[in-house]
Amino acid sequence: MDLLQGTLDMLVLRTLAAGALHGYGIAKAIRSTSNDALDIEFGSLYPALKRLETKGWIASGWETSEHNRRAKFYRLTARGRKQLVREHSKWADFVSAVGRIMGPFPEVKG
Amino acid sequence: MNRLKALWPAWRREQEREMREELESLTALAGRKELGNLTLALEDVRAAWGWTWLDSLFADVRYSIRTLRRQPAFVSIAVLSLALAIGANSAMFSFADAMLLRPLPIKNPAAVFDVSSATPDNPIDGMSFPDYRDLRNKGRSFSGLAAYRLTSLGVSANPAAPAQIRFADLVSDNFFSVVGVTPALGRAFLPEEATRSSQPVAMVSYEFWRQNYAGELSVVGSHLRLNGMVFTVIGVTPESFTGLDRFVRPSIFVPLAMGQTLDGAAADPLEERGSHDLIVKGRLSAGASKESAQAELSTIAAALEREYGKTNRNRRLAVRTELERRILESPQLLALTKMLMGLVALILIIACSNVANLLLARARARSREIAIRMSIGAARSRVVRQLMTESLLVAMAGCIAGLLVAYGGILLLQTLSVPSDPPFVLGVQMDWRVAEFSLVVALGSCLFFGLAPAWQTARADFVSALKAGGDGASGQGRTFGRDVLVMGQIALAMVVLIAAGMFLAGFRNMLALPAEFRTDHLISMDTAPAVLHYSPEQTKAFYRRLVNSVQSMPGVAAVAMTESLPLSPSQTVVSVVPEGYQFPKGHEKTTEFGAAVDAGYFNIMHVEITRGRAFTDHDRAGSRLVAIVNQEFAKTYWPNQEPIGKRIRLDSADGPAAEIVGVAKTGHYLAVNEAPAPFVYLPYQQNPRQRMTLVVQSMGDAGLIAKPLRDAVGSIDGNVPVFNLRTVATLYESRVTDTWLQFFQMVGTMGFIGLALATTGLYGLISYTVSRRVKEFGIRVAVGAKRRDVVWLVERRGLILAGLGIAIGGALSMAAAPILAADFPGLGVSSPAVYVLVPLALLMVSAIASYVPARRAAGLDPLRALRNE
Repeated sequence: MDLLQGTLDMLVLRTLAAGALHGYGIAKAIRSTSNDALDIEFGSLYPALKRLETKGWIASGWETSEHNRRAKFYRLTARGRKQLVREHSKWADFVSAVGRIMGPFPEVKG
Repeated sequence: MNRLKALWPAWRREQEREMREELESLTALAGRKELGNLTLALEDVRAAWGWTWLDSLFADVRYSIRTLRRQPAFVSIAVLSLALAIGANSAMFSFADAMLLRPLPIKNPAAVFDVSSATPDNPIDGMSFPDYRDLRNKGRSFSGLAAYRLTSLGVSANPAAPAQIRFADLVSDNFFSVVGVTPALGRAFLPEEATRSSQPVAMVSYEFWRQNYAGELSVVGSHLRLNGMVFTVIGVTPESFTGLDRFVRPSIFVPLAMGQTLDGAAADPLEERGSHDLIVKGRLSAGASKESAQAELSTIAAALEREYGKTNRNRRLAVRTELERRILESPQLLALTKMLMGLVALILIIACSNVANLLLARARARSREIAIRMSIGAARSRVVRQLMTESLLVAMAGCIAGLLVAYGGILLLQTLSVPSDPPFVLGVQMDWRVAEFSLVVALGSCLFFGLAPAWQTARADFVSALKAGGDGASGQGRTFGRDVLVMGQIALAMVVLIAAGMFLAGFRNMLALPAEFRTDHLISMDTAPAVLHYSPEQTKAFYRRLVNSVQSMPGVAAVAMTESLPLSPSQTVVSVVPEGYQFPKGHEKTTEFGAAVDAGYFNIMHVEITRGRAFTDHDRAGSRLVAIVNQEFAKTYWPNQEPIGKRIRLDSADGPAAEIVGVAKTGHYLAVNEAPAPFVYLPYQQNPRQRMTLVVQSMGDAGLIAKPLRDAVGSIDGNVPVFNLRTVATLYESRVTDTWLQFFQMVGTMGFIGLALATTGLYGLISYTVSRRVKEFGIRVAVGAKRRDVVWLVERRGLILAGLGIAIGGALSMAAAPILAADFPGLGVSSPAVYVLVPLALLMVSAIASYVPARRAAGLDPLRALRNE
């Protein structure tokens, strides 16, 4: 499934709202939460992570992962949390607007 | 911000390392396949940081350096041209900076404005202390208003030494906090030290501290005698703070309240609303603007005028920037600065034309290279950028070399001096502001000389360039742009040379001008008994004894006294109301140069009395008040009337009336080239002053009686400071000859640089044309043209260009000369010899510059010339 422009950033922020994760962990989390509907390759996710970091919405630091391996973990910053709230309400508006137009699927007569 | 950070190589390396490590750790966790295309991911990240942009910039720079290294001749001529021009501009900027532009040496000078008590007569009149106090209490636009007045004091750091005269600032209690200057040592003044009854305290300047206390920390708490009074030193100002006046660096700072005691004045000047001697600077409050401050102060001034009609009639409060104040103070410096900056700007244009010309010549040679780059896909803008990078490198090299040239120029400018004791400081110096200015000039000239050639180069039709196999067809039509540049160069060089010629003529005029007073066999000496709290009676007695003792000295022919000597940099003024003269509305009196002189002055100084009589010993206190004016005064205030017998009121319309008994010939007072100025002489006996200058005529060498003169003062009172002891000839030379010679040298050097650059330009163009027409010349010689014909062919072109340039330059000079002459009364106005000699010189130099390539053209071996092609 293709993503709408800018949606990836929002998904990353939302995923990190649940807790800190390393880059690959984020990709896995998005995949499993969407029941494999959104299969985002790490290669496309990574530039987005760096972009969000530059904007100051997420921050990173080296930590030890579950398997006792070092990895860089990303977490949401306070500014990132605010951004997520904004994006979330925008998204909700968007979904409801689109929902009102589409409505229940019309029955095809004939 | 992040983009700037990304320019930092260390930051980039650090990021690269971090990312590699992170990806490695993830690969270890998840496996490479799972992660996808990591190389692409990294590239995306770099692009977001402006990586590629930076990489291509570095590539441009590397490529440019390689290209430039292959053309040492081009680079050295271009860099040298720019270095001379940028250097001349930067040196002149440092001069302009010292004269007008440099901000006050205080914290955030942009927020500090000058507040003066303006009258129609004097837009920058000082403020009285009562007005200042009211303004400080009522005004809300300024977070702080500091007041001070500059004076000179007799200073002795230890009791044994005789007093020296030093500049001092009497300052308001908040002075240092308003200007934002923290003492380097000790503390600044406290509010309670602003009253007259408090302990006398003083601060000393950093320079004074280094000189007189060898930088000892014990200076704080030590004692200092100012005008004979003991003061406790409480602090040292920082080295960076040199006072708020240009040209003057105060050594001592004391609270304003001490003024009365220091001057030995009977009344407290701080309570006199009519005593306008304070300079006030205000720091704007947050939210206030210059306009809002002006509006508020106008209201306050109107209220003061209503309340104190007598002292504040027609007085308003003017808020000005420091630059505005300086321009009002010294309009002639603005004129001088504008002219010098204008001339060096012309030099810069000539130099830039030179470089542009070289670049255009190169453009053809490089058309093949450019064509190849464009045919394999380089965008035109990319090629322009590459060419601009090369220009930028040349400009930067010119800037660095230019700073060296500027430094030389600044050393020369630093020899300019104003003879004075204590010294005036012109403050021309090499500093960051000069460096920044050079950089801006270099960048600006890079756009000027680089953009058009770069665009033309990149516009080249690359198909024909490739086909033509390198050089393209020869032809004259394509150098039109370059012809115009060369003509422009010659025209501008002509303007600069004519200006130099005017300065030379002015200089010669000045040497020929009569001094209007005697300069030989005279020596002058200033003394200030007032600093020792002599009463007016004691001062008179002191001068009487001094004159008597000097008169009887061996080798002395005559002695006279004056308040100020002609051409000395500090002239005194008097305010007078000439009888019967109708002042324009709002004006009530006039302030003119003037001096109290004794009866012997006119005789000893050879100041001619054209009508009436000179002062005599009968013009003394108690007898009828008299005065002598000069011809200019009589002409200005009593045109076509008999001045003898007229009266002038001294100080104001209510002041005492003095009758004019004589008219003196108009002389020079502040400068030899000044416009004729009115002057008023008052008899010393009727107008005793606290500080007089002794003028002594010697029988032999005037310099030899300097020491006996000093001893004569010492034998009366060893504590009276003696200063400005020098022969009148020395003063005259340094005020007249030296300064003008230096200005002539400056402008002359500019003219020479302009000429050299323009000649280089012409030479470059002609040799280029010759090289383009090798084939044509070869054919001409092969079919029997004489060498002379070929030489003439080339020479003619150079002379036509030079002739047209000279014609344009002549027209420009004709237009510019009256403007110059109007600003500088002493300039030699369009002496015809200059207008003949300069074009002749230019033609000759142009002929030589074209002859060299012409010879080369004529010397061509036709066979080789044809084969070459």
